[in-house]
Amino acid sequence: MDVQLKRGLLDICVLSAIRDEDSYGYRIVKDMKPYVQISESTLYPILRRLEAAQLLTVCTAEHNGRLRKYYHITDLGLKRIEEFKVEWNEIIGIYNYIMREDAQHE
Amino acid sequence: MNKQEFLSALAQRLSALPEAERDASLAYYSEIIDDALEEGMSQEEAVESLGDIDQIVSQIVADVPLSKLVKKQLKPKKTLKAWEIVLIILGSPVWLPLLLSAVIVVAAVYICIWAVVISLYAVDLALGASAFAMLVCSVVFFALRSPVAALWMLAAALILAGLTILFFLLSNLCAKYTAILGKKICIGFKKMIVSKEGAK
Repeated sequence: MDVQLKRGLLDICVLSAIRDEDSYGYRIVKDMKPYVQISESTLYPILRRLEAAQLLTVCTAEHNGRLRKYYHITDLGLKRIEEFKVEWNEIIGIYNYIMREDAQHE
Repeated sequence: MNKQEFLSALAQRLSALPEAERDASLAYYSEIIDDALEEGMSQEEAVESLGDIDQIVSQIVADVPLSKLVKKQLKPKKTLKAWEIVLIILGSPVWLPLLLSAVIVVAAVYICIWAVVISLYAVDLALGASAFAMLVCSVVFFALRSPVAALWMLAAALILAGLTILFFLLSNLCAKYTAILGKKICIGFKKMIVSKEGAK
């Protein structure tokens, strides 16, 4: 897939992975894996970027005698997901346009 | 590789990064390994599932701005001994010009490549101008009632116009690859700073 396109999509995927409840790195990757190709090393810069953009916040909590970072979505992050849904409708419009051209050629 | 070996290898490879940056990366990977262990993986399996350490390092480094890396390099380290400082200062007439000239040479080569690309566009512009001139001449000769010469010139104008388009596409291709090369040089430079530090 086109790198830029995938990058944008992964951001939204990560946001939606923490939308319903706070999550941590390992679980985010595990939750996303059935749907998107992502590795822990790809996730790391995305989390940093989303944190810098204030789309999520990080809090550290104890788990089994060690510290674990939990990622919590902000209102801005929720808004970003909603914006994406609107954008996606535009993309579907473009997709339909492309497919119509294809149908004519066949 | 077990968890401890992996983390110390990663720490060494990232030693050129600002401390906070490095610690954050190490904490992240330590947590991922711990979570994998909790799932029942062995230490070796958990480390292996993270993939190639080279790729992990370049993904972290690519995200750190170049300015931060350089700033860290310029900051003297606490472990610097007095005689090392003296050596660096005494040696500065040697290494400073060498370093500067190396940077300038790389920059000059890169600028030269761009110059070639720009000259390609200049040639293209000249081709376009000649095509236009030929077209004008063709109209003039037609007006002077020598249609054979006018036809010849029209043909020449068309050929030149074709060459112009072809050359434009070629120039665009060259410009694109030169831009990609510039990006690669920048990443290579970043990696060089990091690996030089890691080797110490």
